[in-house]
Amino acid sequence: MKNVSSNIINSEKVAIKISFNDIRSIHGKTKILTDYPTYLMDESKLNGAAEWLFFPKSEAEIVSILDFLQKNKIRTYVSAARTGIVGACVPTSGSVLSLEKMNKIIGFGFDKNQNYYFIRVEPGVTLNEINDKLIKKELDNIPELTPDAIKNFKEIKDSFHYPVDPTEMSATIGGTVATNASGARTLKYGPTREWIKGLKVLLSSGDILNIQRGECFASKEGRFIIKKSNGGKLQFKIPHYIFNTSVKNAAGIYSKPNMDLIDLFIGSEGILGIITQIDIWIIKKKPFISNVLFFNSEESSISFVESIRNNRIISPEFIEFFSCEALNLMKNVQNKDPGSINMPQIPIDAKAAIFFDVPYSEEKIDIIFSKINKITKKCNTNLSNSWSGYENREITRLKHFRHALPENVNAIIATRKLQFPQLHKLGTDICVPEKCFRNMMEYYHTVLRNANLDYVIFGHIGENHVHVNILPKNMEELRLGEKIYEKFAKKAVEYGGSISAEHGIGKIKTDYLKIMYSQKDLDEMRLIKKSLDPLLVLNYGNIVNFDVETE
Amino acid sequence: MKIIVTIKQVPEANKVAVNPKTGTLIREGVESILNPFCEYALDMAVKLKTQNPDLKVEIIVISMGPPQAKSALIRCLELGADRAYLLSDRAFAGSDVWATALTLKEGILKKIGNFDLILAGKQAIDGDTAQVPAELAEDLGIPHIYYGFDIKINNKKINVKKETEKGYKVVETRLPALVTISKGPSTIPRLPSMKDMIEARKKPLEIINAKSLNMDENRIGLNGSFTQVFKIFSPPTKEAGEIIDGNDSINAAKKLFMFLKEKKIV
Repeated sequence: MKNVSSNIINSEKVAIKISFNDIRSIHGKTKILTDYPTYLMDESKLNGAAEWLFFPKSEAEIVSILDFLQKNKIRTYVSAARTGIVGACVPTSGSVLSLEKMNKIIGFGFDKNQNYYFIRVEPGVTLNEINDKLIKKELDNIPELTPDAIKNFKEIKDSFHYPVDPTEMSATIGGTVATNASGARTLKYGPTREWIKGLKVLLSSGDILNIQRGECFASKEGRFIIKKSNGGKLQFKIPHYIFNTSVKNAAGIYSKPNMDLIDLFIGSEGILGIITQIDIWIIKKKPFISNVLFFNSEESSISFVESIRNNRIISPEFIEFFSCEALNLMKNVQNKDPGSINMPQIPIDAKAAIFFDVPYSEEKIDIIFSKINKITKKCNTNLSNSWSGYENREITRLKHFRHALPENVNAIIATRKLQFPQLHKLGTDICVPEKCFRNMMEYYHTVLRNANLDYVIFGHIGENHVHVNILPKNMEELRLGEKIYEKFAKKAVEYGGSISAEHGIGKIKTDYLKIMYSQKDLDEMRLIKKSLDPLLVLNYGNIVNFDVETE
Repeated sequence: MKIIVTIKQVPEANKVAVNPKTGTLIREGVESILNPFCEYALDMAVKLKTQNPDLKVEIIVISMGPPQAKSALIRCLELGADRAYLLSDRAFAGSDVWATALTLKEGILKKIGNFDLILAGKQAIDGDTAQVPAELAEDLGIPHIYYGFDIKINNKKINVKKETEKGYKVVETRLPALVTISKGPSTIPRLPSMKDMIEARKKPLEIINAKSLNMDENRIGLNGSFTQVFKIFSPPTKEAGEIIDGNDSINAAKKLFMFLKEKKIV
């Protein structure tokens, strides 16, 4: 039995034993490199290597694999849909543990306390699959976790969905929990963390923690106690720092006084345990109207954002931004091939664009748009200077337009790569407090213009979180860009922001983490990793580096 | 000049599946949209209005359908139509192409009156019959041209470029006439602005029931229909064919021979 509201949690043991030889696996570095190369990289294009590739179908199989790995001192890297962009799932050696065969929906229930329905899934289910099942209400043969949950659910006329939208809906739920994924709609719905009701986490020792939110909290001294299935006890302390949640933040291990144990594992990039089951809350899908409004200056567009962000009538689901440089790039693409982005002509004099969604109901359209109309007048634009749509196909069109920008940036880099194979784009993921946002934008433009580098700025302006993409033309510009990137990171931390608002740290951004955290903070992160995974078997190299210690 | 555009609301067809047991469409989570070919017809009307400012073109859309089809008409008003009529009544339910054309004719004559040109999509993406526009033109006693993709107005006549199997031909007719549109004037679909959204909802949209059309009840709905849908089913899926590479003619011939032999054709 679980103790209600204590810092002690009992672990469970996997009852079934499965022989290692019965588990589907691929062995051999060359074989994996030749036949399974996609398992060695993610969207960052960081490349790795592995001796083993496993496809477990159950917790019991994972336990058996972990046993084998620890006996043979082999590390493992948990792999989901590999849509991440910081190399978190990329193996540096050892083995890959792909959870793609654990892809079933295994329960459905109603949470009386929160007044939400919830769905219980294995980690390998994709967000697309979850939403598809929910929208079609295809829940036959799924166990009901509370009486009549499915029957009652089907009787409700509205459509439901899982509201977290990290852009890549082909991501798996497991991957998004491990990285605390967020996205454009975080403005309204918050990051993944806020939608996780429960988790099952398998520790490298083979003990399973069944954590339900609201049941296990750190003691006053920041201590958690895990009662292990063999009778032993595992005690550990959370870091003393308070994880910065005043801005959108995905940098480092979550910690705060009296924190819920479940939050320790969400966003820990797989270094503390393997997530094997997830309960997520779901909500009614609300219809919305997607809009793009063009401005003749960046300042006006920021003023517009400030006016609508907290406006209760407009109540935007997300607010996104294209800078002048971004619009110019898209105008060029459009001039060369209008069909490629399938949108009406981008206004020639547009210097900035804001994308935003507002709730859609026939009764309220007039009230909402009249309110927006008043605001646009103060921002030197008008409602004619916009695109608007509410049908699925229109919403998809506007979404494609937004995604076409980073795709075209990547295409430009790919061309330049032909001449300089080591070249890559530099994409920031920096978030700063609202009061510093204008200064930060000015800083970006001044530094980049002085350096004479190609760049575009776009992203989640609603949360003061925009992505600066630097497009170096040669290796010299790449090195210059890297120095500038570090400058930006330092400036953001100075302002109280985060160096990684949503992409996470993985293996690519560990150096920037040092700008945000002290040596002591990082040591505390290492300590917690060592307490829960003493042999450092799981996802070695994510967030914290252990090589430093031995230096 | 009055241009009427007849339109239909349809389920977003690429998302509709047929339940093999009941033979009904699975509509769960599928949105209703303005039939894309009707949108092309509307685009053509808007193009004619823009090109001929001196003709003072008024664009009127009309549809027959359930109450929710109102949203397709609002969509037309957002995209440039000036006013809209929805013929909606339980008595119209079950109309086949014949009854639909007759009802539209009555709606046009009794509510709109004189007109110069009717534009229609070449077909609806759900029923795919492509018969209503021609029947409507016959009922109204006006000429019709199918598969148009460009129209020039010339006094009381129009020149229509219409698709043929080999290319296109230009057909001239006097007005009033009906033209079905197969391809939009712009390759990139338009998007309304927020201003268009507000303005659309201020334009006149009238919902008309069977009684106000004063039609004999034996001529409308199921009673007035000569045909009925007997069964809906998905066409059986075909296996993909195999293409034999002809560059290596000897091997290609061998492969073809083996295939024919296997199928016991030779």
